[in-house]
Amino acid sequence: MWSYLISFASFVLMAMLQMSVFSQWKILSGSADILLLFVVVWCLYDRSKRLWLLIIVMAGIVNFISALPFYIPLIVYFFIYRLSRLIQTRIMQSPLLGIIVLTFVATLLQVILNMAYLFILRTDLAFTSALVEVALPSILLNMLLAIPMYAIVREIAYYAFPKGVEA
Amino acid sequence: MITKLFTPKNIRNLIITLVVVGVLFLAISGYLTPLFSFSVSPFISAQSWLSQRYLAFNDFFNSPRDMATLRAENTRLESEVAMLQSEVVALQENLAQSDILYTLLDFARTNPEHEYVAATVIGREISPFLQYVIIDKGSNDGLRHGMPVVTQQGLVGRIDALISDAARIQMITDANSTVNVKLQTAGVEGLVRGSVTGEISLDMVPVDIEIQIGDILMTSGLGGTYPANIFVGQIFSMQSKQNVLFQTGSIQPVVDFSNLSAVLVITNFDSVDISPLVP
Repeated sequence: MWSYLISFASFVLMAMLQMSVFSQWKILSGSADILLLFVVVWCLYDRSKRLWLLIIVMAGIVNFISALPFYIPLIVYFFIYRLSRLIQTRIMQSPLLGIIVLTFVATLLQVILNMAYLFILRTDLAFTSALVEVALPSILLNMLLAIPMYAIVREIAYYAFPKGVEA
Repeated sequence: MITKLFTPKNIRNLIITLVVVGVLFLAISGYLTPLFSFSVSPFISAQSWLSQRYLAFNDFFNSPRDMATLRAENTRLESEVAMLQSEVVALQENLAQSDILYTLLDFARTNPEHEYVAATVIGREISPFLQYVIIDKGSNDGLRHGMPVVTQQGLVGRIDALISDAARIQMITDANSTVNVKLQTAGVEGLVRGSVTGEISLDMVPVDIEIQIGDILMTSGLGGTYPANIFVGQIFSMQSKQNVLFQTGSIQPVVDFSNLSAVLVITNFDSVDISPLVP
């Protein structure tokens, strides 16, 4: 219960930082998504069975503040949740490498879903400029911020999981 | 008698008297000033040197007390400077905010046909593919869905969603945004579209119309989404391809969307939802 409260409060704080600061840090037209990074790192730390409940709450918060449809953060966050379980148990034990791989794949999925959503809405989507000016810079920024986010969440995790951080 | 008067003693006294009177005369007349200065200056230098040594000597013995006093004074002054600097920063921030509000107020006065609610931008959209901002006013302040949002420069967008104390604005740079506009010089109407990169472009202008670079775009009021005659931007360049019905153009928006800090919501305009009529 304690870890859920800490992760919820941390996620809300990250959401405030994202809206006020990180959404304005741009490379071309792309920006970082520290909420996605937080979910990535937290999923690799938290091994509780009811993490899916927290994922739903986090997707709900994003749905509340963002103009994105509700299913995009839900799909992306559950994908991160499932993939993190796979990384934890079967592929590798190195947390840093796992975070980088997971960040790249999750950002890529988010970008694809965003573009698919705009395409479905019949938006005049210039695919090349969307890819070069928005998608690739966003992936790059997320990759750059993954390591600092790992360090921050690791500090938070010490308070959330007093018995020891496993990742 | 005369021999008694010119005795050697008297002659010597007379000479001395004449020399003294002469020197006094020269001194009073100012002829001896350079000589006096020249002869006194070594003494002044010596006195100065001695005085400085004494003061240094005096400072050396009295310095602990003065240093403590000076350090205390320095600390007090430094804290005072820090406090004044923070006050200056706060006042500069207030001044910048006041400038924005005064400009918005000026815009509201020059456009009295509308009623406005001023709001501060407190956040931006998470997704880089969408162009939305969040403001600190909501339904408690009389805002409703679809109300147009402007700044002193021109059109910003419209309210897309709101809660009691906050609202989300879809900017005209958003990829799903379209604004009906008219070109001031050419006198034709067109459509301004946003994009995923945050740029806006002109569309639906017939190819046979000659468009001048720099022509001003204003809202036409068609569609019922925005009121008429609000500045949108200026034509930056035009492109027309062969075998197409419409020409397109790049627009330089009048609003700096990347540095949006305060906006005005037009509260007495009811937007019309024509989506049920769209086939």
